[in-house]
Amino acid sequence: MTLDQARIHSLLRILLISDDWATRRSLNQLGLYAGELIHVLRRAPFGGPLVIESRNSRVAISRQLAESIRVEVIP
Amino acid sequence: VKIALVGQPNSGKSTIFNAVAGYRSLTSNFSGTTVEYTRGRARISGEVIDLIDLPGLYSLNPANAAETCAREFLLTGDWDVLVNILDASQLARSLELTLELTELERPMVVCLNMMDEATRKGLSIDLKTLNEALDVPVVEAVATRGQGIVETFVAAKELRRHGPRVFSPAFSYAPAVEAVVESLARALVTAGIPDALLESPPRLGVEMGANDSVALQPQVAACAVAAPAAVADLAPRPLKVRFRALQLLQSDPLRVAFLPAATAEPVEGARREMLHATGEPADLVISSARHAACLNLFERVATVSRPHGDWRERVDRWLMHPFWGYVFLAMIFLVFFRLVFDVGQLGEAHILAAFDSLIAYVGRFLAPEGWAFALAKGALLGTAGAFAIVLPYLLPFLVGLSILEDVGYLARVGYLMDAAMHRLGLHGTATIPVLLGYGCSVPAVMATRILTSRRDRFIAGFLAVLVPCSARMTVIMALVGFYLGAYWALGIYVLNLVVVALAGNVLARIWPEVAPGLLMEVPPYHHPAARVVILKTWWRLREFVVIAIPLLVVGSAVLGLVEFLGWQNAINAALSPLTALLGLPAAVGLTLIFGVLRKELSLLMLMQAVGTTNVGSVMTTAQIVIFTLFVTFYLPCLATLATMVRELGRKLTIAASGALLALAIVISLLARGVLHFLL
Repeated sequence: MTLDQARIHSLLRILLISDDWATRRSLNQLGLYAGELIHVLRRAPFGGPLVIESRNSRVAISRQLAESIRVEVIP
Repeated sequence: VKIALVGQPNSGKSTIFNAVAGYRSLTSNFSGTTVEYTRGRARISGEVIDLIDLPGLYSLNPANAAETCAREFLLTGDWDVLVNILDASQLARSLELTLELTELERPMVVCLNMMDEATRKGLSIDLKTLNEALDVPVVEAVATRGQGIVETFVAAKELRRHGPRVFSPAFSYAPAVEAVVESLARALVTAGIPDALLESPPRLGVEMGANDSVALQPQVAACAVAAPAAVADLAPRPLKVRFRALQLLQSDPLRVAFLPAATAEPVEGARREMLHATGEPADLVISSARHAACLNLFERVATVSRPHGDWRERVDRWLMHPFWGYVFLAMIFLVFFRLVFDVGQLGEAHILAAFDSLIAYVGRFLAPEGWAFALAKGALLGTAGAFAIVLPYLLPFLVGLSILEDVGYLARVGYLMDAAMHRLGLHGTATIPVLLGYGCSVPAVMATRILTSRRDRFIAGFLAVLVPCSARMTVIMALVGFYLGAYWALGIYVLNLVVVALAGNVLARIWPEVAPGLLMEVPPYHHPAARVVILKTWWRLREFVVIAIPLLVVGSAVLGLVEFLGWQNAINAALSPLTALLGLPAAVGLTLIFGVLRKELSLLMLMQAVGTTNVGSVMTTAQIVIFTLFVTFYLPCLATLATMVRELGRKLTIAASGALLALAIVISLLARGVLHFLL
C-alpha cells in the first residue's frame, strides 16, 4: 500500500520511493529512504497532510506526495 | 580568516551567526532567483574573522534556488574553513550533510548545536568517537544560551594555524561505485572542464534583472544562480575532481541535459554504467550509500534512551488537533491581529498629531499659498503616512510574526491549512502571507519568501494584496459601515472572500502546480530568542524603510504640487471615462490616484472632493458601495507595489496590477448592475 492510506499511529517500513528525481531527492534529504521505519503521528482533516516521524524528526507530507511512497505495516 | 557557516534548515545556524556578527550583518533571506547570503565580521579572541552565513540546505545537491546558491558558494572555494552546524537532536539526519561536506576535502569544524534538546530526547553523543570518525574537530553547543559558540570559532581558527593538513572524505563507496566515479573524474579532467559542476540551468536564469540593483548593495554578496562567469571571477580554488564527479552523478537528469556536450556525455555514460552495475539510478546509489554510512556512524556515536517527559507532544495534541487545532489557530490569529491593531492605533494617533503640528509649524515659514509650502506639505504628509500609518502597524506585526515563526507555530499553521490552501492551488505554508494581508499588504508580500517556487510566491502575493488590509478596512468601515450599516460592510468582506477563492482557483488553472505538494519539517517548539526576533524584525523593517518611504515622500510631494497647480480638474477629466462607467461623480477621480499612494487617503480625499464630511448626503448608496469596492480591489498602494517589484520582479508586478485593475472594474460593474436592480 502507499503511505497516504496508512492509519494514524501505525508503524510502517518504507519499501519504495517514486522514481522521479526531484521527489526522491526531496524525501531523501529529510532522511526518508527505502528501509526506514516511520511512525504516522497525525492526519489533517479534509485530505490534508500527514505528520510522520522517523528517527526523531517530524515531517509534514501531503497526501499527494505520500502516494509516491510504498510502505508495509509492521505489526 | 573566512569562515562559512553551513547547516540544515532549523539547525540554529542564524542564531550562531547573530550571536557573533549581530546587527552589522545583512539579511539572509532569499528572493526570486537571486539568493543572498549574509556576510558579517566578528572578533574572536582578538582576531577579526569574516563570516558567511549560507542559506540552510539539506544536501549539496538541492532542489530549490536558495540551496543551490549555498552550494554554488561552496564551490567557489572562496572560504578558508567550513563550520558545519548540526541540530544534535536530529543527529541521524544531520550527519548526512556532514558526510557529504567531508567530500569537499577542505578544513571543517563540526558544531553540535542544541545539545540540551538532544539530552531531552534521550540522546547521548560520544564526541570523541565522532571526532575520530570524521577526523575534524567536534564542538558541542547550546547556541540559544551562548554556549559553545566561541569554542567553535576558536577551533576553526586553530585549524588554520596548524598549517596545511589533509582532509579526506569520512567514508568511501562500494568498489564498483568508486570505479565509476573515478573514471568519470578522469574523463572530466581530460575534457578540461574545470567548472563542470556549475550547471548553468537556463530555467533558473530568467528574470534576474529586477533584483540586480539590490544584489549589488555593498556587503550583500548575491549569488546569481545563472552567472558562472561571475563565480569564476572570485578566483576559485581547485576543488577535488572526485567531488565534482560525485555531484554530477547525483544531479537532476534534466539539468545534465543542459550541460555542454563535452561534460554531459561522460556524465550520461557514467550514469548508464552505474545503472548497469547496480541496477539503480546513480543518485539513489550514492545517496543511499551515504545514508547507510550515516546511520552506521550514528549507531557508533549515539546512544538513545527513553526521552524525558515532553510537554511539546501534549501541546501539539491540541494545536494540531483535527478540530481544536483550527479553534486555536483562529484564536491565536485573532489575538495577534487585535494586538497589532491596538498598538498600531495608539501609535498612529500620537504620531499623526505630531506631524499635523509640524505641518502647521512649517506653514509659519513658508507662504501658505506658495508652491514651496504645497511641496513641503505633500512631502510631510507622505512621511506621516509612512511613519504614522504604516509603521505603527508594521512594527508590532513583524515582531509578532517573528515570534510565531521562531516558536515554530508557523509550520503548524502550514500543516493545518494545507488542505484548504490546496483548493487555491497553494500549499499550507502560503496561508501566512494571505492571512497577513488582512493587516498590511507590505509584510504580507514580504512573507511570500517562505515559499520556494516563483509560482507559489506570485499566487500567494496576488491573493495577499486582494485581501483588504487595515487601511482598506478603514475605508470599508468609515464609508459603507458608517453610512449603510455593519451588514453591508460584512457583505463586502464576504464578497472579498469569494473573490479571493475564485481568483486563487483561476490562477491555479492558468499556472498549474508543478511542485509535488507539501513536504516540510515540523520543528519542535522553541523558546523565542529575543535577539533573533529583534534582528528579524529589523531586517524586514529596514527594507520597508529603504524601499517604501522614499516613494511615499516623493509621491506625496508631487501630488501636493498637482493640487497647487490646480491640475485636479484635468486629472478628473482624464479619469472621467472610468468614473462615468462606474457611475461615480467625476470629482472622485483624483481620490483614486491618492488611493494608490495610501489607501485610507482616498477616504480623506473623497470628503475633500465632494466638499463635505457627510458623504452620505451627496453620494447614493450604490455610489458608496461601488466606490468602496473599487478602492478595495483596484491597485495596492505604492509601498506594496514597491515591495512586489522587489519580491516578485517587475514583470509579475505589472501583470498583477493589470489583473487587479481589470478585476476591480468588473466587480464594480457587476455591483452597479446588481444594485441598480435591487435598489
